[in-house]
Amino acid sequence: MTESEESIAYPPIDPVNFDLIIVGTGLSESIIAAATSAVGKTILHLDPNSFYGSHFASLSLEDLTSYLNSPPKSITAATTTTSPNDSDYAALNLIQKPLYSDAEFIYRDSTDESSFLRENSRKFNLDLGGPRALFSADKTIDLLLKSGAAQYLEFKGIDASLAYDANEGLMNVPDSRGAIFRDKNLSLKEKNQLMKFFKLVQQHLSDNGDEKISEEDLESPFVSFLEKIQLPPKIKSILLYAIAMVDFDQENSEVCKDLLKTKDGIDRLALYSSSVGRFPNAPGALLYPIYGEGELPQAFCRRAAVKGCIYVLRMPVISLLMDKANGSYKGIRLASGQDLFSHQLILDPSFTIPSTPSLSPKDISSERLEMLSQRDIKGMVARGICITRSSIKPDVSNCSVVYPPRSLYPDQVTSIRALQIGSNLAVCPAGTFVLYFSTLCNDADEGKKLLNASVNALLTLPVSGNTESIPILQSDCEDKKPAVLWGAFYIQKLTTGKFEAISSTPTPDGNLNYNELLDATEKLFGQMYPEEEFFPKVTSPEDTSDDDENGITLES
Amino acid sequence: MGCGYSLPDRDSRQLGRPNSENGGGQDAKNLRVKLVLLGDSGVGKSCIVLRFVRGQFDPTSKVTVGASFLSQTIALQDSTTVKFEIWDTAGQERYAALAPLYYRGAAVAVIVYDITSPESFSKAQYWVKELQKHGSPDIVMALVGNKADLHEKREVAVQDGMDYAEKNGMFFIETSAKTADNINELFEEIAKRLPRPVIT
Repeated sequence: MTESEESIAYPPIDPVNFDLIIVGTGLSESIIAAATSAVGKTILHLDPNSFYGSHFASLSLEDLTSYLNSPPKSITAATTTTSPNDSDYAALNLIQKPLYSDAEFIYRDSTDESSFLRENSRKFNLDLGGPRALFSADKTIDLLLKSGAAQYLEFKGIDASLAYDANEGLMNVPDSRGAIFRDKNLSLKEKNQLMKFFKLVQQHLSDNGDEKISEEDLESPFVSFLEKIQLPPKIKSILLYAIAMVDFDQENSEVCKDLLKTKDGIDRLALYSSSVGRFPNAPGALLYPIYGEGELPQAFCRRAAVKGCIYVLRMPVISLLMDKANGSYKGIRLASGQDLFSHQLILDPSFTIPSTPSLSPKDISSERLEMLSQRDIKGMVARGICITRSSIKPDVSNCSVVYPPRSLYPDQVTSIRALQIGSNLAVCPAGTFVLYFSTLCNDADEGKKLLNASVNALLTLPVSGNTESIPILQSDCEDKKPAVLWGAFYIQKLTTGKFEAISSTPTPDGNLNYNELLDATEKLFGQMYPEEEFFPKVTSPEDTSDDDENGITLES
Repeated sequence: MGCGYSLPDRDSRQLGRPNSENGGGQDAKNLRVKLVLLGDSGVGKSCIVLRFVRGQFDPTSKVTVGASFLSQTIALQDSTTVKFEIWDTAGQERYAALAPLYYRGAAVAVIVYDITSPESFSKAQYWVKELQKHGSPDIVMALVGNKADLHEKREVAVQDGMDYAEKNGMFFIETSAKTADNINELFEEIAKRLPRPVIT
């Protein structure tokens, strides 16, 4: 997008006082912008980047590469280190620290392929926070409908849900009666066991069912419950990791950080189940937005703009303006030198204030600043993106893959999730596929090892070593695994959102869907505006000029 | 899991509108297209739409707030109808913050400038370039010189508009949202230029 950064002189922002200023256009920030403007507040929504979406953006190949490689930015204004003496405000410099580290890129050593990628860079919409998809029945869909953002989006169903097994390779997730019936990897006995289990769950969930799962079982770990009803390991693994989408090995209490209770497991099965078949033209449980996940924040931003929120891109914030008398937040100073004021401020999770005390004016209490300089890091997620010229599964363009713990190697303690998206979702040029991988990890080495194993199980990586100049490639015919033309692997820090005088939004999490992120966003909104409803229902004729606009648009 | 003892909840009401991709129309007689407006703030984009859709003109309207898009259907002489789904910038053009989402699937782009403002004419050329970057290659483009009623203050010659439009494969018209001059003609001309779905 460098060419669009050519000098566009902005008029000064008018007005200068707002109820809320939001910096960053990630999904949470954009949802809050839409929710807050829906209840009539005045908002200024800024982004230092030339694109929408922050950490939820979908970027061209070139932009993604430079974004992941960008060094920490200390945004310093040319001349505004000291504010005028008569000012009531102290200016605190703001630092933007990338959430990403350890970025590695691989390329296939082929002049034809590299010029193909260069020429088609803009035809790629690569998700920075992938893999991501929506369950047809999840609350993100409800929010898209309730907020009106759905009218700007189009979705397509993911064709297949797969699970990786060390012996059998890719198997279909038996997620419906039909899928169980057709399954080629399950024995008749296993099929019956699974059918029986689904029937049990359905009876438990139905209002008049008399066979309820006991309270004691509901509070017990889901894995124990599955053992108790004697489901075989293969089925247990599919239920836990490919349907309930649990991250950690549930049978290894030393490493498991997310032991799932039976009642929560049942809820997740119910979400999956009601997603399958909610939309007749979506083949499975998952949906993906055409043009990539970056469309979601854009849709919420447009919703906010329609309600009067002011949008400014390519506008860094250089400092916070703090009241000298009581140390409270007053406003921000832009790179353009303009000072703007608001009651509340939300920053995207990559912003921090230098913690060095010498940098903070003495008259501002240090506790106030700690919240920003010491953000809780909740671990990390390793992400990978690969571009190929063929699908991991013949005749299937878009599919999700789960690698359950221990499916790749014995001490693999987390699930790895992958998503393959083809050109019919407008995220890559015709004849190519994009694969996303992610897994939680404790450190970069573990993350990279997990990514590497999961990629190698399905794809052929260019012979590594020196990643810049790759020697001769093995011939494609050796095995049928698609060859990786281009790949990026990186580590992303995870932080949660925070409500303070200056609030911050959560980073993309390690999940496939957006539900936890949405809960955190709604909670933040509730803390900021306890009196206000999160997207009140409106029936203004201005809002929807046509009653047939109120749906999810699904391309079949 | 979908045990199959009951049918999944197929909620057809949620399915929404048929796909409104480029060219939109599902049947050859009734086209449905997305039209996006572009142009500098204050050139009268919303006024053109309001005049076309509601027959109103409100000189006090400042910045576009409130509506996502407005729809208007016109009937052509060959008994086809075209339903325009008209998207306004919602002010996002002011600080060059129009999202790629705005251009997705647009079959028509109307780029508006104010004939009394040469700056708005050069901004129109910026939007044409943006469109060539983000828009679909077969988009129908119209260049509109608005505020034609203010001819005594004219600063952009008709010929300049015509020349630029011709060079960029656009069609050109001058309008006045205030007097309604050429407003219907603008949309009728667009409708005529839309590619028709092939009847099989």
